[in-house]
Amino acid sequence: MTRTDTATTRTAAVADAQADLYGLLAAILDGETDVLATVMQDGSLVDVTATLPVDIDAAPLECKEVDEDALRIAYDNLFVVPGPQYVPPVASAHRDQPSEAFESDSPFHDEGSAGELLGDPASEMSSLYDRAGVRPSYGDFPDHVAAQLEFLAAVTRLEAQALETGTDDRLERFRTYQHETLEQLGWLDTFHRAVAATDGPDGVFTALVTVARTITAWHARDYSMAE
Amino acid sequence: MTDSNATHTDSKTGTERTDEPTADGIDRRDFVKAVGGIGALSLSGGIAGSVLEVDGWFTDDGHGVGTEYGDYEASDVIYTTCGQCNTFCPIKVRLADESGTGEYSSLVRKLAGNPYSFLNTQPHAQVPYESDPEDVATGDLEGTGEVDTSKWSLSGGRICLKGQAGIQTAFDTYRLRKPMKRVGPRGSDEWKTISWEQAIEEIVSGDDELGHDGLRELWGYAPEDEVMDDWEAVQTGEMSKQEFDDRYEDVLIDTDHPDLGPKANQIVDVGGFRRNFIRNRLWHQGLGSVNSIHHAGVCGLSGVMGFNRSHAGTKKRQYPDIENCEYLLVWGTNPMVANKGPTWLAPKLTNAIEDGMRMDVVDPRLSKTAEKADEWIPVKPGADAALALGMARWIIEHERYDETYLRNPDEDAAEADNEPTWSDATHLVLVDEDEQPKARVGDLDVPGADDDSFVVLDAATGEPAPASEVDEGVLDVDITVDGRAVKSVWTLYRERVFEHDLEEYAEMAGVDVDRIDELADEFTSHGKRAAIMAYRGPAKHTNGFYATRAISTLQHLIGNFDWKGGQITPYAGYETMSGRYELGEVPDGHEPWGIPLLRGGVNYEETSLFERDDGYPAKRPWFPVAPPMATQELYASADDEYPYGVEALFIRPYSNNHVMSAAGGDTIPDVLQDEDAIGLIVASDTVLGETSRYADYVLPEPTYLERWENFGTYPNKRLADEKISQPTITVVPDARPFEEVLIDIWKELDLPGVGEGAISDADGDLWPLDTAEDFYVKLATNIAYDRDPVPDADDEELELFEHAHEKGLGEHFDLEEWRSAVTDEEWPKAVTVLNRGGRFEQPIDDYAETFAQRGHDYDYAGRHPDTNAYEGDHMRYKLASRVNFYDEISPTGKHAYDGERFDPLPRVADVVHYNRDVQVPVKTDEELDHDRPLQLTNWKPRTQGMHRTTGSAWLRETQPENPVWINPEDARERGLENGDRVRIDAGRRTVEATVRVTGGIRPGVVGTAWGFGRQGGDTTDTTVDGEHRAGATDGYGHADHSFDTPGEDTAGYAKGRDAGFAVNHVQPLDDELGDVGLSDPVGGSNAQFAAYVEIEPVSER
Repeated sequence: MTRTDTATTRTAAVADAQADLYGLLAAILDGETDVLATVMQDGSLVDVTATLPVDIDAAPLECKEVDEDALRIAYDNLFVVPGPQYVPPVASAHRDQPSEAFESDSPFHDEGSAGELLGDPASEMSSLYDRAGVRPSYGDFPDHVAAQLEFLAAVTRLEAQALETGTDDRLERFRTYQHETLEQLGWLDTFHRAVAATDGPDGVFTALVTVARTITAWHARDYSMAE
Repeated sequence: MTDSNATHTDSKTGTERTDEPTADGIDRRDFVKAVGGIGALSLSGGIAGSVLEVDGWFTDDGHGVGTEYGDYEASDVIYTTCGQCNTFCPIKVRLADESGTGEYSSLVRKLAGNPYSFLNTQPHAQVPYESDPEDVATGDLEGTGEVDTSKWSLSGGRICLKGQAGIQTAFDTYRLRKPMKRVGPRGSDEWKTISWEQAIEEIVSGDDELGHDGLRELWGYAPEDEVMDDWEAVQTGEMSKQEFDDRYEDVLIDTDHPDLGPKANQIVDVGGFRRNFIRNRLWHQGLGSVNSIHHAGVCGLSGVMGFNRSHAGTKKRQYPDIENCEYLLVWGTNPMVANKGPTWLAPKLTNAIEDGMRMDVVDPRLSKTAEKADEWIPVKPGADAALALGMARWIIEHERYDETYLRNPDEDAAEADNEPTWSDATHLVLVDEDEQPKARVGDLDVPGADDDSFVVLDAATGEPAPASEVDEGVLDVDITVDGRAVKSVWTLYRERVFEHDLEEYAEMAGVDVDRIDELADEFTSHGKRAAIMAYRGPAKHTNGFYATRAISTLQHLIGNFDWKGGQITPYAGYETMSGRYELGEVPDGHEPWGIPLLRGGVNYEETSLFERDDGYPAKRPWFPVAPPMATQELYASADDEYPYGVEALFIRPYSNNHVMSAAGGDTIPDVLQDEDAIGLIVASDTVLGETSRYADYVLPEPTYLERWENFGTYPNKRLADEKISQPTITVVPDARPFEEVLIDIWKELDLPGVGEGAISDADGDLWPLDTAEDFYVKLATNIAYDRDPVPDADDEELELFEHAHEKGLGEHFDLEEWRSAVTDEEWPKAVTVLNRGGRFEQPIDDYAETFAQRGHDYDYAGRHPDTNAYEGDHMRYKLASRVNFYDEISPTGKHAYDGERFDPLPRVADVVHYNRDVQVPVKTDEELDHDRPLQLTNWKPRTQGMHRTTGSAWLRETQPENPVWINPEDARERGLENGDRVRIDAGRRTVEATVRVTGGIRPGVVGTAWGFGRQGGDTTDTTVDGEHRAGATDGYGHADHSFDTPGEDTAGYAKGRDAGFAVNHVQPLDDELGDVGLSDPVGGSNAQFAAYVEIEPVSER
């Protein structure tokens, strides 16, 4: 089964909805806490999680009266300000091993003993963006979760459009980009654990990252089955 | 999440993922509906940005990143060496798929770096040497990137824009197509084509039409010992002078002065490349002439000599171990652009800077390297030695030298301190002797060791002792031993350094005292991990030798040689001239002898001319402690017949275009046009250049993409390599490599070194030399068999070799001719080398296996525990010798003007003429006797290799001409603004240029790039066989357009090949000689930064 054959299991409507959801998550994880507040107040994200076939504790994502300042502070503490509660939202920081390619050749540390920012994941995402000819607006780094999700939203949207028209010969290319991006999102597992450890199991952002992890896993599953 | 979800291991990241929903466990309609209910999606200013505007994404153009690429195979690729500049990068020639129907054998689709070579894959690792060429060419080699996903692969290595433009060099429409003979006077640009047979016949036998003799008549030779024995007999009266004259008048230049050597010396070769073949084999041993000259005098000869004399072992250049260096002082060189070379050094330097290396740059102008430096130190041109000795003074005063290192007098003592090198600081010098040599055991009554051992004062006993037997020497020594006054080298060096205080040094160098302090402090704050990289800037002055010595010896103070992060000296390569074949030895060859035309290596007063010419001053300079490579002296020497005339001159100006490259080269055409000065001039060239224009015969030469060569290896690498050039295409069918033309001529003359029995193999069997392949395939075989021989090329690779060369060379490729140059057993190994463009050492053993696992993105040489580049904290390839503060050889030489001995120590000196008149005052306060206050410096252009690359429109587009840089202070005084046309008054000549106003040049100094202002290279109108051809001057090939404003790269159109001005043509001539630029009498270089100019607007704005 090729990626194109995946079309038999994916419809334009599904792709469109996924794109919407990726876009939403990207915006929130880039710090648009007003968006988060909105979906918490109307409970719409919880409704979405209910459709997923896994048991997600989405209760923290529903709240009629949201303290937006608290949300903003929580976001900053978790993802912006290096400190005791900081969980870097970039893939490079969550790799088990320092990247060989990007480990510093500095004489001041030994091989494999130091991590790196802008390592392999950033390089690979950057390369992907270059090939697509775009630079996501979200995220400070190419492997920032918001940048990755934004890119995924875009290529999934294009997939939806291609499926809609049925004539777009670029469908395979969009799906290749999706697939490669999803492959790069494996780090969401460790990211999720790190957020949960800091934000707590009942934390809003823990729940949010759970959704992100689940929705991308589902999407990746589509491809793994197709292949 | 539940445990029911599937487990998925991400193929790329290796991250295990769990808890995924099952594919059929989701109601997609519910999902779509739920997402549709997210009201926030319609938030304006909220997530609107996340619903990306994707129109315009993913189109096939407009992004600057291509997605389409063509597949090709290994048979579309031949590896060779670039010749666009003297970096000589290993390159990959990708042959075109379709080659049309031109005269050429194949078009070239693209040039790239050779991925087998570490020189062209920085900052990545090279592909393993044994890798299948098919896998490498197609990008399928495991461990390299993939074009599909990474945009690139290691199938092609790094190449600079000059290298890419090599296609335009090879396919230049102005290429010479046939042998040509001049019709009018020399330089009249009127020619007729002739056959190769006619050209060779006339060169050998002479020609009445042009009125020149042939080599058969001009050549004469007799062995030195035979001649000089007879000459001795004449002196003792055992032989009459008449008898001597009768015996030798046909073979000696002058029987009254037999030390001038045989008439063969009056047949002179000039060319930078193919030294092994043409210079060593054909000229020296075939002809018996000492006069085969390369480019050194107009290049960095004084630098090379200054470096060389600062070390007992071979060390011609200064380079750091960049990867591990903490502090790099770049001095008068621009490694981001030049100096072996941009593709190799630029990425290394950039990464090192990113990793924390501090880099300061000493240069009168803000070069591309200086732009990236922590500090730019704009020194006054010509005053580098003052800066260096000022630093030395600070280091000594603050005791920041490595005393332990300096007190080691010899190898054993050094080894005990884990030092690979040692210095001569403790060695004693006989200071009362005329030549002030170092004392040997035999000179003083010192027991032990052999008579030639140096003597030191043993710190343990306080007694003089052989250096080799002492653990620690005394640094400060000024005593009398055995009745003879001795001082240690350190004492002498210290006295020299302390001749001036820091304020005086600062004044001379034009650099603040504080800055000198900081430089010296920084340089001595990193232990062994500091190094200097210096080259032409300090060297190309008449004081260049001493300036280079002053800079070199700074490193002696910290003893950074062979240390990781320090100064490196690896000339590591593979054997080329011997091994399986003794290519450097000509059976029954002649031994060249006599005074070289350029008077190198000989003291004037030791020749018979000293008496003839009434002693000092000599008519022209001699260079007694430099090799005979002061190229700039050639033409005026021929004109003066000093020390003798030139009967025949063979020039290969593709690499030695002296009219353009010598300071004062504008005087050369006068000599070349004079048939009495030089009777026969033969040029082998790719185009009609400034020098070849004046030849009697111009023979079409293949470009570097079409011929053989073995360019020297880099002196700045951590591993061994050996590059080989081979013919990849044929563009001009009638072009012949000069080696083959000379083989034919030598055969006609029945000279040794060519034809049957010309090359001996290791078993003593003799092989013929009829073609270039006969030599170079053997050379490739020598490379293949050195150390552990390379693996045999298998049948598939042999077939690949044949197909690639058939595709590239077409009917010009004769497999049997190549194959028969070596034995059947050797051939598959030679092919292994040729299929990879040379041999490149692997960074670790079992490299292929590790590479497949870890890929290209790793510095195996630098970081792998089993690296072949390092041994612990030392480089693996070492200098491992003494380093010299004191040069014993210099004082054996005497200045030809007044007989004064040269100085054994570094020193500050003025820039002077042959008669010692000051041109640029450094040490003295002499007032200038003219009103041109601006010093004119110059540099290699960023986007041109040599004059040889100006035929490329691609390169001329990047910089159409050479603006003259001027500091805003100086511009303001003269009412100049950026882009103004100005007149540059250099005294003897005035030229026009465009001015670039920039703070990137020292006030009081102006400068420009060389390589412009051509008056040849097809910039002249020529007539060939009666047909007129216009020169490639302004406007050719382009519609009307406007050109760049300096510093604003907007227009991008190429001007004509003659655009700009020739900076060497505004250099001063030597006051005493009047026919050539100034020269360094010690190092031998032509001084190329000696001009003073004034600049004024051409007209009012």
